[in-house]
Amino acid sequence: MSDLLLIDRRWIARGVERTPTMRFVLWLVPWVALLALGIYAAGLCLYYGLNQTNMDNRFAFGMWIFLDLAIIAMGAGAFFTGFLVYILKQADLKPILNSAVVLGFICYSGAVAVLMVDVGQPLRAWFTFWYPNTHSMLTEVTFCISCYLLVLILEYIPVLLRNRQLRKVPSFLVFEHQLHKLVPVLAAVGAFLSFFHQGSLGGLYGVLRGRPFAFRQGFAIWPSTFFLFILSAIAVGPSFLILVTATAETLTGRQLVQPSVFRKLGFISGLLLALYVAVKAIDTLVWLNITSPSLGFGPRDYYSYWPLSSTFLFAVTVPLGLLPALLLIMPTTARKRGWLLLGAALACAGVLLNRFVLTVQTLALPTLAFDQFLRYIPSWQEVATFGGVIAYGVIVYSLSYRYLPLFDPPKGAGKHVSLG
Amino acid sequence: MFPWVDGFQWSLGHIVFLSLFFAVVLIIFSTLVSAAWRTASVFRTHRATEMCWRMNFAELPEAERRCRHQLAGRVPSRICDNAFDCRHCPKYAEFAALPPRAPSRNVRVDYSADLLYHRGHTWVRPEGDGTLTVGLDELAQHLIGHPDSVELPVKGSEIESNGIAWRMAKNGHEIRIRAPIDGTVVSTGENGDGWYLRLHPRDPVNLRHLLRGAEVRGWLSSELDRLQSQFSASNAKPCLADGGTLMAELMDAMPEADWDSVLEATFLET
Repeated sequence: MSDLLLIDRRWIARGVERTPTMRFVLWLVPWVALLALGIYAAGLCLYYGLNQTNMDNRFAFGMWIFLDLAIIAMGAGAFFTGFLVYILKQADLKPILNSAVVLGFICYSGAVAVLMVDVGQPLRAWFTFWYPNTHSMLTEVTFCISCYLLVLILEYIPVLLRNRQLRKVPSFLVFEHQLHKLVPVLAAVGAFLSFFHQGSLGGLYGVLRGRPFAFRQGFAIWPSTFFLFILSAIAVGPSFLILVTATAETLTGRQLVQPSVFRKLGFISGLLLALYVAVKAIDTLVWLNITSPSLGFGPRDYYSYWPLSSTFLFAVTVPLGLLPALLLIMPTTARKRGWLLLGAALACAGVLLNRFVLTVQTLALPTLAFDQFLRYIPSWQEVATFGGVIAYGVIVYSLSYRYLPLFDPPKGAGKHVSLG
Repeated sequence: MFPWVDGFQWSLGHIVFLSLFFAVVLIIFSTLVSAAWRTASVFRTHRATEMCWRMNFAELPEAERRCRHQLAGRVPSRICDNAFDCRHCPKYAEFAALPPRAPSRNVRVDYSADLLYHRGHTWVRPEGDGTLTVGLDELAQHLIGHPDSVELPVKGSEIESNGIAWRMAKNGHEIRIRAPIDGTVVSTGENGDGWYLRLHPRDPVNLRHLLRGAEVRGWLSSELDRLQSQFSASNAKPCLADGGTLMAELMDAMPEADWDSVLEATFLET
């Protein structure tokens, strides 16, 4: 036991305080159990097929696609923070960049893992690359997410190699330094890829002509949902980063970043969210008054089915849209940690609800005269796989926080400097 | 994906989409290959040791990066930004001309005015035949005492300043001793000899980066403060110093201390 404690202590950076080993192990136990359950459930789905889920030919998108859309939107904080730091030269956000990279890596690797279960037949995953259907938004999503996951792995490697023990290997340290110097290239590629796959995730709903609830007009080959998804992702990414970092601060009892970093991220998030709400409101009005009637559908066809009533539309727009935007922008509320976190949480909840509505409500609504309103309750295997991805995220972030330099060391300690 | 694969179309959309995809993949892999190539180049041109040292130096806490002139009391406060390499420091001559005001505190650790000290707790003594003798200083010897094993470089091997000169093991801890100077190993000693390496230095010999005189007392004083703080229990209340002397064989006497952190701070690891 004492050997385990010694090994654990040796991997934690010198000069930083971390929770005692046993307490950390106890924190991990329930998450590891949830991850194990998730792996078991995913194994059942891969072995027996999608009959383990409550999805069918009509309800082909379920909880997993909602999870994918949600965590990819939340993971946008990684590319957007990298874009702000390396391309727009917002150096004051650098202290939170490593944390953003790890979060992005978790979100995208989790999304790819759950997509593998959802699509099934993982041994044939390469088919999508070898025989691409370039007319499909999903092909663009697959290509961009795969490439961006590669980018995130390359961005994560320098963080990983700065671990106390790994950095003692000279080749690791030099490689880390050389890769770190090239990170701006990766940040630019990441921004390009994210722009397109965030958009295409929205676009794939907007082109569903047979689903009037989702179908939208747009610009050139892109429906309006393409742009709305990009905007909402870059609006909510920084908010999610704030929430996760604030949660880590609460759990560890330490200040990890300066409040000014939170305020700046919050302001950017709020501003983009306000823009998103404005564009979304215009888009909704155009859809309800022009696009939808031209297809023979009115608002009653969408919002008269409990529980997916117009309350959801109102919730996404006002209490989970406009309100958090104001909380994050107004100096009087943004200065107070509680209001700032509430704003960030509401913003995240808003985008989660938006992704849920677009995934579930689109498929639940009847589109033909003989159609029924469908109900979908995920099976325990779907829920467990969902939980497994969440547990995976918590475990990777916890281990990264414990053993890697996610945040700047305390004042007076050494700092990473550019050596040219 | 390729013209010879079933389903490929010579349409504009297809070509644009796949071109973008291949461009992105090419950039990602070029970045990785470029980083690997540059890493190999650093090792090929023997710049790895200096680069690793500079990166480690940048990670040292501020208190461990204090300039020798602050330690000697010549300037009130100054953090070294030159990786302790005073040979290339543009400010060295300006500060070295100032009178030292080193702390009068008796550090109770023997140090010799004839020796030149490196911050990694080694000393250097120029010999009459042009070689340099390298040993471990008193404070380091108090900490380690008798090592369980010593791994010295073979005769004729090249060592680089701030690279690893030799390794020691004690109570399961590996201790890596940084070289105070560049040179070729002429002969090796043992713990009982009082020295470990005799080097033939690279020309031209420049020992300006090594501490001497008042600087050594100031440096040892700050090192003792650090040790005291590292050895005190994390929940200990502020208390008066006892004024005692440093015990011998501290690693044996205080096995419960966080020796990884103590040794890393003492021998300039991060």
